[in-house]
Amino acid sequence: MTENGSPEEGLSRRGFLTWAIAGLGAFIAAALGATGTGYFISPAFGKREEDWVDLGLAKGFKQNEPLKVDFVERKRDAWATVERRSSAWVVTPNGREFVAFNPRCTHLGCPYRWSSEKKEFLCPCHTAVFDIDGRVVSGPPPRPLDRFPTKVVGGRLLIQPAASKEAA
Amino acid sequence: MTPRACWDWACERTGLDRVWDALMARHIPEARGPVAWFYALGSATLFVFTLQAVTGALLAMNYVPSPDHAYDSVRFIGSQVLFGRFIRGLHHWGASAMVILVALHMLRVYFMAAYKYPREATWIVGVTLFTLVMGFSFTGYLLPWDQKAYWATMVGTSIAGQTPVIGPYMSKVLLGGAEMGAATMTRFYALHVLVLPMVTAAALGAHLFLVVWHGISEPPRRKEQGS
Repeated sequence: MTENGSPEEGLSRRGFLTWAIAGLGAFIAAALGATGTGYFISPAFGKREEDWVDLGLAKGFKQNEPLKVDFVERKRDAWATVERRSSAWVVTPNGREFVAFNPRCTHLGCPYRWSSEKKEFLCPCHTAVFDIDGRVVSGPPPRPLDRFPTKVVGGRLLIQPAASKEAA
Repeated sequence: MTPRACWDWACERTGLDRVWDALMARHIPEARGPVAWFYALGSATLFVFTLQAVTGALLAMNYVPSPDHAYDSVRFIGSQVLFGRFIRGLHHWGASAMVILVALHMLRVYFMAAYKYPREATWIVGVTLFTLVMGFSFTGYLLPWDQKAYWATMVGTSIAGQTPVIGPYMSKVLLGGAEMGAATMTRFYALHVLVLPMVTAAALGAHLFLVVWHGISEPPRRKEQGS
């Protein structure tokens, strides 16, 4: 057994060991690098969780009469669960289709109210006026009222309050 | 620029080639057979330490050292984060491997009498590193905040509390108060990820310098005649 082998054999003992160490090192670096990088950048590909909030029986909403519904939004924040008090204005033209408005005026985020005399949404901050479909009637708002996605499941009205923040 | 030219450029300005030669092309004793493998224990420890540093930094990105969130954040790593189970597994098993490897490395040096003149300083720094690894184990064991972690730390700090005269004070210093709780976790976490790594990096640098500077000791030879 020779220590270094002869060059004619093509691969010497030293050369073999060099390649073996380099190969194993590259394998370990790749395995650790790939998983470590995946771990580090995985938030970039995470899907936003759909958080639907139950607002109660759909039958409970009167037609063409906006109702402000307060609810507690329970959201998962990584390992923690956070609760946030929030609300929405719910409008239904027929008891089957529902619209849920973000309760913040699209101008500067003030909470507005429904005037049952004028049949309009009125914002106290800068006298913005919206109609029952959320369209701007007058005042400074740049766009109609923001809407939360809604759906009716098993006779109960569900809304997704987190979604409109991205649209805004 | 070719890689060769880049290498030459760097060598001319940093002496990198001489550092490389000193580390990688140095003379090491000729050892054959299974005994030769004992010489790999130090490098193996260094490798696992690097692994612990990398996986530890990744785990710290999703970990909270608080009784409220520690357990949930560890579960989050294991169930929600991509490769989280793998990374945590490496850190978990690496911790055990670390203790086993430093112990074997120490035994190798002891039984081969490699700690003797002129390498006493390397041995002293090595024993310091062994103590630091024990510190890593003790502080890291608490962090998952499960039953095992809680009671192991309870036992460990109670042992410290049995020391005559200063025991109760030591126990309180370790716990960050009279009882185990939030202050204990932040204290152990700070030690585990800030204090111990910094001290270990310094001691490790000294240890490696001394190893290279002295060269590796020869394996002990069998006497020709009986002693």
